[in-house]
This record gives sequence, C-alpha cells and structure tokens, in this order.
Amino acid sequence: MKTIVLIFLMVMTTAAHANDEKYFEQMGKQIQIVYRAQTTEELQGAVNALERIANAEKTKWEPHYYSAFGYLMMATREKEGSKKDKYLDQALAAIERGKTLVPQESELVALEGFVHMIRVTVDPATRGAQYSGLAMQTFGKAVSLNPNNPRALALMAQMQFGTAQFFGSSTAEACGVARKALDQFNTYKSDNPLAPVWGKEMNEELLKSCQ
Amino acid sequence: MKLLGTLLFVLTAEVACGQTKISGSITDERGEPIPGANISIKDSYDGTSSRADGTFSFITTEQGQHELQISFVGFKKYSSPVELFGKAIVLSVNLLEEINQLDGVVISAGSFTAGEEKRRTILNAVDIASTAGATADIAGALNTLPGTQKVGETGRLFVRGGDGSETRTFIDGMVVLDAYGPSAPNTPSRGRFLPFMFKGTSFSTGGYSAEYGQALSSALVLNSKDKAEMNQTDIGLLSVGADVAHTQVWDRGSASGKIQYTNIRPYFNLINQEVDWKTPPASLEASGAFRQQIGKGGMLKFYGNFNQTDFSLYNHDILDPALTQQYDLSNRYRYINGTYLQELTTTWSMRAGVSYTYNQNDTRTEGVPAAETETGMHSKIVFEHSASEQLEIRFGSEYYQRTYEASRFNEVLQHEESVQFNEPLSSTFAEAEYYASNHFVVKAGGRFENNRLNAEVSVDPRVSFAYKPGKRGQFSLAYGTFRQTPLNQYVRLNKRLSPEKAEHFIANYQLVSDRKTFRVETYYKKYDQLVSYPAGNTALSSNEGSGYARGIDLFWRDSESIKNADYWISYSYLDTKRDYLDFPQVAIPSFASAHNFSIVYKHFLSKIKSQIGFTYSYTSGRPYYNPNQPVDQFNSDKTPFYSDLSANIAYLPKNNVIIYASCTNLLGRDNIFGYEYSSTTNSEGVYVSRAIRQAAPRFMFLGVFITISKNKSINQLPNL
Repeated sequence: MKTIVLIFLMVMTTAAHANDEKYFEQMGKQIQIVYRAQTTEELQGAVNALERIANAEKTKWEPHYYSAFGYLMMATREKEGSKKDKYLDQALAAIERGKTLVPQESELVALEGFVHMIRVTVDPATRGAQYSGLAMQTFGKAVSLNPNNPRALALMAQMQFGTAQFFGSSTAEACGVARKALDQFNTYKSDNPLAPVWGKEMNEELLKSCQ
Repeated sequence: MKLLGTLLFVLTAEVACGQTKISGSITDERGEPIPGANISIKDSYDGTSSRADGTFSFITTEQGQHELQISFVGFKKYSSPVELFGKAIVLSVNLLEEINQLDGVVISAGSFTAGEEKRRTILNAVDIASTAGATADIAGALNTLPGTQKVGETGRLFVRGGDGSETRTFIDGMVVLDAYGPSAPNTPSRGRFLPFMFKGTSFSTGGYSAEYGQALSSALVLNSKDKAEMNQTDIGLLSVGADVAHTQVWDRGSASGKIQYTNIRPYFNLINQEVDWKTPPASLEASGAFRQQIGKGGMLKFYGNFNQTDFSLYNHDILDPALTQQYDLSNRYRYINGTYLQELTTTWSMRAGVSYTYNQNDTRTEGVPAAETETGMHSKIVFEHSASEQLEIRFGSEYYQRTYEASRFNEVLQHEESVQFNEPLSSTFAEAEYYASNHFVVKAGGRFENNRLNAEVSVDPRVSFAYKPGKRGQFSLAYGTFRQTPLNQYVRLNKRLSPEKAEHFIANYQLVSDRKTFRVETYYKKYDQLVSYPAGNTALSSNEGSGYARGIDLFWRDSESIKNADYWISYSYLDTKRDYLDFPQVAIPSFASAHNFSIVYKHFLSKIKSQIGFTYSYTSGRPYYNPNQPVDQFNSDKTPFYSDLSANIAYLPKNNVIIYASCTNLLGRDNIFGYEYSSTTNSEGVYVSRAIRQAAPRFMFLGVFITISKNKSINQLPNL
C-alpha cells in the first residue's frame, strides 16, 4: 500500500512539474510573440494560443493578462473606430476573467486603465472627459494595490502628461511620476517569472520630453 | 493493485505519444473564409489559428474522446466530439454568426437614438449640449434634426405636422407632465430637464414602441445616468444666475443635488426686449438624484425636480397699444420619479417605477386671480425576457391618474368658479422582437388602453421591420396607431371627448459608416378624431376633426472628412392639412412650415483649447389668417421665412474650468412667427395686426463652470 501511495505521489508531482514546465515554456513563447508581433495576424495567433492555455490552466491569471495585452496591441494598430472598440471590448473581457482569479493584481488593474486610455483615442472630443477620468482613477487604483508597479506609474505619468500638455499646464507632476516609474523599472523585481516587463521604453520616451 | 495498473496504463499512454493530425477549413454562412479563428482541443494546449484562407492544420498528442472547439469573435462557438487515436481528421466547418444587437440590424424607422456610449449613435449627450443656438436645451438641439418644425415662439418640439403637445417626454420610462418651464405668451419656453442628467436620449418622430402611450406624434425618451463615479462639486456662474451642484459617491451608490437660481432681470435691463416686462422671470430650482445598487443586478433610482418661477408683464392692446393689462404668473412645479430595475434570472428582468408631477400656475390679470393645477401619477411595471438569442419579449402594465382643475374669479358674478376633471387610465402592452438573422428583425406589439374618463377602450397595434442586406445600409418600415387625450382646455369643458388618433406609416433607409451617417425617411400620418368646435365655443367640442401629414426627412452627419470637425445637415419637407378646432375649412395649421433646413458645425481648436460651433436654421413661411380676408382665405397668408445663425464657444483655460459664451441670431434678422389681430375692428372697419416677433433680436449667454474634485482632469464639458 505504501508503495502505491509513493508511486502515486511521485506520478502526481512529476505530472504537476511537467505541466508547470509546459505552462512556462508555452507562456514564454506566446509572451515573446505578443511583445514582438508586427501584424494583427501574429497577435491574433498568439492571443488564440493564450486563450487555449487559459482554458487548460483554469487557475492562472497570466494567460488572460497577455491575451488582453495582445488585444490592446491590436486596438492600437487598428484605424477604424468601431473595430478598435471591439478589440478593446475583448481586452476588457480577458481582464475581467483574470480579475475573477486575482482581484487585487495591480498589473491587471493597470492594464484596465490602459484600455480606457486607448478608448479615448477613438473619439477624443466626446470621450475625453469620461474615459480619461476613468483611466486616471484606474491607474490610481493600480498604484495603490502595488506602489512599486512601474507600469502603473508609467501609464499614470503618460495620462498626466497628456492632460497637462492639452491644457498647457505644468508637466512637472507627470514627469515626477515618470521618474519614479524609471526607478521602479530599474529595481522592481517580481518573483513571478511570467510577470510583465514591458513599458520601460515608453517611459523613457516620455522622460525625453520632460527635459 | 488495480489502481497501480490504471496508473501504469496512464503513464504508458502518455509515453506512447500517439499523434493525431487535425486539419480543415473554416468559413462563414456565405462561404467566405474566416482567418484568425481559434481551433482547440478543450482543456488542452493543443490547437491553432486559421490562416488567411480559412484553412488550418495542427497535430495533437491528446488521446481518446475529446471536444474540438472553434471560436471567433462575432460567431457562435462550434463544438464537436472527436476521437483521437492517430487517424487524421479533416473538417470543414461553417461558423454561424452570433446575433449581435449592437452591430446587427436595428429598427431605425422613426427613431433617433442618442447616447449609449458604444453604439453608433446619431447624437449623444455632448452633441446635444454643445449645439450652438440650443443653449443646452434638449428640445433646442433636437430641433436641428429632420422631422421637426421650428416654431420659434414656443421653444417646443413640433414633429411632422404635429402640435407641440403631441410630443411626450419620458424619463426612465416614466411620464413627465408639463415638461417645459413657464414662459410669457409668444416667447420660447425651455425644457425643465438638463441634458447632462441623461446618458441616453431616444427621440422618436413616429412609429415608436407599444410601451409609450398618450403621445400622438413623438416620444422623447430620456434615460438617466447610473451611479456617479467620483465625488465632485460643480459651480456655475452664469450671466443670468448661478448654480452649485455636489455629487457624493459611496461603494454601491451615489447622490447628487443641484440648486440653481436664474434671474434674467439684470440681463433684460441691459438689452431691450420686445416683451414689456414689469418683473422679468426669476426662478429657483432644486434637483436631486439618488442611485443605489441593490443585491445582485438591482438598481434603485430617484430623481426629483422642484421649481418656482415668477414673472409679471404688461399686455398691450392691439388696437390701442397705450392700453395695458398687467399679467402676473407664479408657477410651482414638482416632479418626482423613482424606478427600480432588477435582473431576475439571466434571461428575465423587471423594471418598475412611479412618477408624480405637480404643476400649478397662479395668474392675475389686472389683479383678478385665476389658477390652474395639474397633477399626474404614473405607475408602471415591465418584464423583459430573452426567450432565445433571437427572440426578445417585453410586456407590462401601467396606471395613470391625472387630475386637473382650473379656477378663476368671476368679476361679474363676484364669486369663484372652477372646472375640473379626473382621468384614470390603465393600460397593458406586449411586444416581441424577433431577429431572424443579423440581417432581418421584426418587432410587433400592441397596446391596450382603458380610459375611465371618457369610457373608451382601445387597442393600438405597432409593427416594424428592418432589413440590413450588407454591412452598412439598412431599410426599415414602421406602422402604428397612436392616441392621446385632447388638451386640458377642451376636456375640462367636455369630458366625453374621445382621444385624438394618429396612424403612422414610415419607410426609412440609412447608411452608417464609422463616422458618417446618411438617412432618408418618408412618412404618411393620418389624423382622426381631432377636437373640433364651432368658432368661439369650445364647450360644444366634438371629435369630428381630421387631417394628414406627409413628407420626407433627410439627414447627413460627417465627423470624419474635416479634421477636428463635426457637422450635420437636416432637411425636412412637410405637406400637412387639417380640419379641426374652429377651422372653417381644411387648411394648413399655423405651426406648420413646408421646408425646414439646418446645419450644425462644431470645430475643436486644440491650439486655443476651444470648441467653437455654429448653427444655421431656415424655416419657410408659416400660414396665418388675416380676418380682413374672406373666410375661404383662412390661413392662406404666409409669414416671411425664418432664419437664424447662432454661434458658441467653449474655452478650457485649465483642466477644471470652462468658459462658455453663446449668441443667437448673429445676423440680427427680424424674424416674424405670425400675426395677432385685434378682436374687434378699428374705426375704419379693419382688424389691426401685430407681428409676433422674437423677444429680443439676440440672446447672449456667458458662463463660467468650475469643477472641484480629487481628479484634476475632470471638468463640466460633458455637461455643457
């Protein structure tokens, strides 16, 4: 009997281990595609793969995060407003699925704010006030969930910078947040190997305008 | 031992590494390939995406019974059991389109839907608020849409040959009585409700849902905003008053209140007015809204509006303008509305509501008092059910209780006399909407009404169809019968009057692309049972009047072609005649104009952080009757045409400050809306005329709006 239990345990752990390895390997591959994709087709392929992983790994939030990120990238490539909205709807739906697993994950909340920010670009005149407010509020929430999250800080700085520029007011506050984001990009280390790492370049671009 | 055997079997199965190749192609119903579809083995990593030509191929290591799934946005998920044991599987799959009520076919005949953020809308709340010439008045902005006729001296919505009273306002489905504020005779009134309160506006110029009754021509359906998102205080300093509003937000609800004081006196002292005011209008208004989410999928809303307006003026005799008569008015208005929305199951929902209107006018003509009071209570419950993805059912019941009393002091008999009536009305309606596909939808329903005042029972059918052959163009048809109790001034003297009746036939075509809209609509409207009475004797009224209206409406909106600009153009042609009231014969009513044209242009100038707007409107001459002419010439004279060019500018010096200025009638045209005639002839035996003019050549408005909130990027722009 003891042996049976032992074998059983061994099988289970190796199986689990193998699964994790497969998960990390597959995720790593798709994340690279999402980061580097040049076309909507590539992104769609990666997003599909991530959704398959999400269906198989029902407790992991990362596939939802990156599939949302993929849709967000598709939205930024799209010119037509109604299609843009559709991609953003998909991104938001993926974020919501992720949030049911980890409601307090700062990265997911920051990405949600990013979706609102891109929403504005569809029709700035009519959406500006509503969605930029919503975006700021969501970035604020992401920062409060994890004050060291460089992406939450960098996105918030982007939004503040855009608003300040629009109204011709001082960009000092925005630049301060961008500098804080830079510090965090240099020091912040997540213990999750699949944690997002994007945003440093975007932040550096912003800092260039700050000088 | 058995367990061990199973375990070994599982292990060897995994090691055996049997591979199955799955390939095929994916198309839509028309046989067009679908690229980018997600093909997967349920609960496994294995799968792929379809290529540009819709084909796919992948190898899976899974074994045995599995579920193959194919999904793509906008299509129903395909799912099929597969046996995986190394033998190649080839599939050819047709994905079925999902019925999509956002993108698919919608019934558009007769309705202009505005608001719902993500829908492709014709006008949204900001559009309404920022239309030059409208001064943030909902009716003013909707007057730039086709199907409306400008009747400048009233400020109300006259739709397709219908009188202003034939348009009924609903807030969250609940009826609003006396939706316009009081105004001096022949001066425009404003709607009582500000556009920023609403997330959506649906303006129907005919053929509307069976849910809406007691409206002959048009239903203006306003949907109030949901829970507010953040605490904020708004301050407005206006050239004609001031307002302050505060919104407080908590976890699952919000409350907001606003107090507004309007005093037009200093302005009127500066700018000469056509009206001889003793004391120009001043009003104090308080409004409040409360929102609370309840349980799972429940939302409770309250809204209240309280207004007090006073003014006093001198009416001048037409024959002898030196003869004046002092007229004082004091209006008290209360409107309270409570609604509750609850999702019952995933496919059933319920909404219920109560509204209460109280409107009292106390007037004095040369000190002789008269009063008019109307109260209305409306309660309603509606159930909605999605029987399937294709079939939506809606049904409900309503109960109205309306009382009216008018009293005056009879100087001859030296006592007070009054007339009143009480109108209890119950109704039930049911409606089904069936989406045969993303290309065809039909909506059919009926409305039953039982009016206990005139003991009338009626059933009104409403039917509409829409067909969308391609991606952008769509045809739509609507038919319905509509009825409405005649105006208080007739009912109070003859309680047996039947409701007035209208029948609408509408055909519509619209072409909508991302940021451009084209619409053309033609209609025929038949009026029956209109009130008619012998000249000078409203007490002898009957329902023998009738009439018709027909015409064509055109609309074009483009927010794409000119950078940072948005414009729309409307044109309406109207042919209408009636034989009603005290008309001696069939004639065009004096509020009807054959041609109405308007163009609204808005431009955002980011350099100076401003939005500027222009509105030009043109209305062809309206008929009037010159009593010096024989009776067979009734309403055969026409006023000159009406035209107006208005401009506005909103400037944002800081994130939370807006400076707003607007001016109507830049060209200073002396518009004449009609003529009044003396009731008796002068010494030469002639009825003397007096033109009904604009109260002032121009109306100028200046306001500063400040928002105080934790979030500095919020301002009141959406409210303007």
